[in-house]
Amino acid sequence: MEIKILGGGCPKCERLERLAREAAGELGVEAAFTKVKDMDGIMAYDVTSTPALVINEEVKSASRIPRKQEIVEWIRAAQSA
Amino acid sequence: MNALEYIATLLQTGLGSLTAYLAAHVLLCLLPAFFIAGALSALIPKEAITKYLGRDAPKWISYPASALGGFVLAVCSCTIMPLFASIHRKGAGLGPAITFLFVGPAVNILAISLTGVQIGMDIALARIVLSIVFGIGIGLLMAWFFRQDDEANNAATNGGGAFAREDKVPGRTWVFFALLLGVLIAGTLQVGLLTRSYATFTLPGSWAGSFQAWLDSVVPPNLALGIEGVSIHGVFLIGLLILIAVAAWLGLNKVDEGFNAWTYVALGLITLTLVAASFKIVAGEQGLNVGITGKLIAEVVIIAAVWWMAARRFEPYDIQEWLWEMWRFVKQIIPLLVVGVFLAGMARALIPATWIETLTGRNTVWANLAGVLFGVFMYFPTLVEVPIAQTFLSLGMHRGVLLAYLLADPELSLQSILVTNTVIGRKKTAVYVVLVTIFSTLSGLIFGWFIR
Repeated sequence: MEIKILGGGCPKCERLERLAREAAGELGVEAAFTKVKDMDGIMAYDVTSTPALVINEEVKSASRIPRKQEIVEWIRAAQSA
Repeated sequence: MNALEYIATLLQTGLGSLTAYLAAHVLLCLLPAFFIAGALSALIPKEAITKYLGRDAPKWISYPASALGGFVLAVCSCTIMPLFASIHRKGAGLGPAITFLFVGPAVNILAISLTGVQIGMDIALARIVLSIVFGIGIGLLMAWFFRQDDEANNAATNGGGAFAREDKVPGRTWVFFALLLGVLIAGTLQVGLLTRSYATFTLPGSWAGSFQAWLDSVVPPNLALGIEGVSIHGVFLIGLLILIAVAAWLGLNKVDEGFNAWTYVALGLITLTLVAASFKIVAGEQGLNVGITGKLIAEVVIIAAVWWMAARRFEPYDIQEWLWEMWRFVKQIIPLLVVGVFLAGMARALIPATWIETLTGRNTVWANLAGVLFGVFMYFPTLVEVPIAQTFLSLGMHRGVLLAYLLADPELSLQSILVTNTVIGRKKTAVYVVLVTIFSTLSGLIFGWFIR
């Protein structure tokens, strides 16, 4: 599974990454984490502002920090897809 | 004066500014402003604003929405550049994007309230109104200069779904904002109804007079340089601030994972500090004279309402987010502010007043331009421009020139010019910089005429 964190390295992005790692850890999922920090990389996804979470190339959330439970659900859904 | 004495004077002036600042300005102005900034960031979904910036929105909606969007969203510098880029590439085009970029950094709740309390409501209001007017003006001009490029840009980029998402702000959030704004306004507005004491009593003790005399010798007030000195009330409040810092570090750093006992201690201390700061306390011969002010009554009522709403009307998760954002702003801004105020205070003793007076003491085109250029080349972190401006004011800078400086400083810095450059290219950036310089100089000049 591929999980991307879009955002320029502000505290919000770090918190989102921490939550996503914890969520993946809870499910015992092997995931590759990538941080996308450059503007063009971020703009390639259809988001208006960061931080944003991308799971398997699909934007799951943008401009807010989702709850850990939400991320767990998304990872589970992506796994079964 | 030998070198050692000179350094001692410098340190004393710096320290004097810092303590006076913490005791007088930070509390009733910055504490509520941080809570408001946190709430704007945590409780308002960005889609509530960006839906008005889509390509299909008419001009008379998209430009004001960009200006307002800056006010609501741009409290964090790490979100403004991606937003600017996306408004430009996928949203309404160059004009509103520029308006957003211009208004955003200048008109945020922290900067405006701090300006109002420390420098004066006239400058704070001028800062809001002129930023919005010129932000829209510069946006329209840029869109007109580069109308052909903009059409090409329109054709090259797909509309995208990014701006179509809608989100609503629930009614309780608006009420909550009104209450938080109430805390800020009740604490800082200088009207008789709020500042008058309705009852007074005296805490007896002869120590009060001598303690105040000692404070005046350690941090001597110097009205000529605009140094206010520290009162007993101030020392008490600084003590509370230090306790808050400790409790908040233990209680708010991980508030996103849940509340702990320290969270409540920190919030309790903050409430206590806001209430304590609202008393009017003066040291006299017999002891401390304590006045119950209108401000105090207003603060107690409004803060109680904020507590009640936070506890009953919001989900705990929303409140966690709110406090986390608030604390993030504090950690990001307060250290810079403390260092900035200290250095700006030292600069008062260092820079000869005649320099500032000769260069910027009168309201001329050149003086205003000097103010703008200083703002461009000296990069001060968010909000530090305000104590710097106060230093200039006390050294004899004209209020019009001061406004020109305050408009230019957050808009234009070498750093922001470089980033803008990568998003819209060299030619447009150059035009933008020239326009901002002209408009800031003009607004300083016009404001200077008005207040003469």
